[in-house]
Amino acid sequence: MNQNDCFVTINNVTKKFGAFKALDDISFSIQQGEIFGYIGPNGAGKTTTMKILVGLISNFQGEITIGSLRLPKDKDEIHKLLGYLPQSVAFQDWRTIDHALTTFGKLSGLNETQVKDRIPKVLELIGLADVRHKKVSHLSGGMMQKVGLAQALLHEPKLLVLDEPLGGLDPLSRHQFKGIVEKLAKEGATILFSSHILSDVQDVADRIGIISHGRIKQVGTIDDLKTRLVRQKTVEVMLSGASDNWQKLSAVQNVSEVTQPQPGILLLNLKSGADEDQAINDVVAKVVELGIRIRGVWMLEPSLDQIYFNYVSEAEN
Amino acid sequence: MKLGLLFKDELLGFYKSKVMIFLWIGLPVIALLFRFVSGVSSGQEISFTMISAILVSSIGGTLAAVMLSVSIINENNRRVYDLFLIRPLKRRDIVLAKFLAVYLCVAIAGFLAVLVGTLVDFATTGTLSSIVLSDAGQSLATTLSMIAVSCAAGTLIGVASPSVVVGAILVIFGNNQISVIPLIPTLLELPQPEALTIVISAAMAMGLLAGAVVLFNRKQF
Repeated sequence: MNQNDCFVTINNVTKKFGAFKALDDISFSIQQGEIFGYIGPNGAGKTTTMKILVGLISNFQGEITIGSLRLPKDKDEIHKLLGYLPQSVAFQDWRTIDHALTTFGKLSGLNETQVKDRIPKVLELIGLADVRHKKVSHLSGGMMQKVGLAQALLHEPKLLVLDEPLGGLDPLSRHQFKGIVEKLAKEGATILFSSHILSDVQDVADRIGIISHGRIKQVGTIDDLKTRLVRQKTVEVMLSGASDNWQKLSAVQNVSEVTQPQPGILLLNLKSGADEDQAINDVVAKVVELGIRIRGVWMLEPSLDQIYFNYVSEAEN
Repeated sequence: MKLGLLFKDELLGFYKSKVMIFLWIGLPVIALLFRFVSGVSSGQEISFTMISAILVSSIGGTLAAVMLSVSIINENNRRVYDLFLIRPLKRRDIVLAKFLAVYLCVAIAGFLAVLVGTLVDFATTGTLSSIVLSDAGQSLATTLSMIAVSCAAGTLIGVASPSVVVGAILVIFGNNQISVIPLIPTLLELPQPEALTIVISAAMAMGLLAGAVVLFNRKQF
C-alpha cells in the first residue's frame, strides 16, 4: 500500500494505564475509502486505539495522522472530520431522538437548515424515521445503537470510527448496517470498525487488523492473512457415496498424502510448490478414472475464525 | 456559540425533567412554610425577607451543589460526554453550560423566595419600609453569592468524584463549610459586608470553576 494513499496512519503508538500497557507500539494505516475491520479478544486494546483516534484519550506515545492533520495537536480540526459510535451509546434521558440529533448536528458544525435536512435522511437510512420524537430513555438497546449510528453519520464525516457497532442489533439490522457501511465507503468515507462477529467483519472489511495483548498481530486483506497462515495446501473432496479405493488418489502427481477424517470427506495434502489448479484437475481426472462419485472438489482454505484463533492463540502462548 | 447551545440544552433538560418547576415553586413554598411554622413575625429584629434568603441560600445552595455534582458524575459514568467530546467544541463549555444553567435556575428560585419574603413582610407590616427593601437587596446579593459558590463547588466535586456516593459526601460535608466563607465579612461586622461578600463569592466561584475546567480538560475518557 502506498503510504501517500493513507488517510489514517497510526505509528508506534503506545498507551499505558499505570503499569499496564494497553497498547504496545502499534502501527497500521487505513486508506481513503477503505473499510478496516479491527478484531481482537476482550481487553486487547481495540477500544483504547479508537478512543485515542477520536481524541478521548490524549496522553499517548507515538504518532497519529488523519489526512494532513496530527493528533493531539489538531484535535479540533480532526473532530470536524470525524464520526464516532462508542461501544455503549448514552444520551441524557430527557432527550428525544430528534433533539439529540439536532444538538449533535449543530455541535458538529451544521447550521439549522442543514440539520433539518439531514435528520430525516439519516433516520430514513437507518430505519428510525417513525420514532423520531420518541424519548431516548424509551428505546431498546438495538434502537439506541441505531441512534448512535445516526449521530455519527449526521454531518457526513470523512472518517467513521465504530466501536462494536453490531452489538445488540438483530440480523436484519446487521444486514442493513453492513449495507450502510459499504455505501458510505463507496462515497469516500474511511471506516474503522471493531467487532466480535467475525463473519460480519469478513462480509464488509477490505482489510483487517488483529490485535492481541495490545500488539498488532497481523494486518492485511483476508486473502493475505489466509496465504500467510496456510503452510500446507490441502484439497478437500466431498464424496457422494462410500468408496473403497480412495487411497489410490495418493498416486496423483503432487499429492503427498490422502486421509479420510470422516466418512464422505477426503483430504489430499499437496506437495510443497504444487500448482493448485493443476492439482485439482489431476485429482478430478483420477476420481473419474477410479469411478468415485463426488459432490465437490475445492482447495481447503482457513476461515476468518481459524485465522483469528491462530494469531490470537499464538499471542496467548 | 457552542456554549450558548449547550446552555439552552441544559435549561431544556431541567425544564423537561421538572427540576426547574420544583425549584421555582418549591423553594418559595419552603420559605413560606418556615415562616408559618417558626412563627417569625414582623416585630422581630430580623425580617422574613432575610430569613427567606438565608433559608434559600442554604437549601438552594446545597440542592444546586448536589444537582450539579450528581448530574456530572452520572453522565460521566454513563459515558454521555463521549459524544460531546468528539465534536469540535471546548471541553470548558460543557462544564460552564452546566454551571450556568443550574445557577440561573437556583438564582431565579432564590429571587422568587426573597420576593415572597418581601411580599409577606409587606403584607404583615402594611408598608415596604426602607429597612425591608434594604434587607431584600442585601438578602438577594447574599443569596446569589452563596448559590454561586455552591454551584461552583458542586461542579468541581462532580468533575473530581469517581462515584455518586463520594460526590454526595463531599457536597454535604464540604459545600456547607465552603459556602459560609463569603459570610465572614458579615460575621466579623466589617464595613460594607455585602460588597465584600459579593467579591469573595465571585473570587471563590471563579477559582472553583477554574479548578473544575482544568480537571475536566485533563480527564481521559
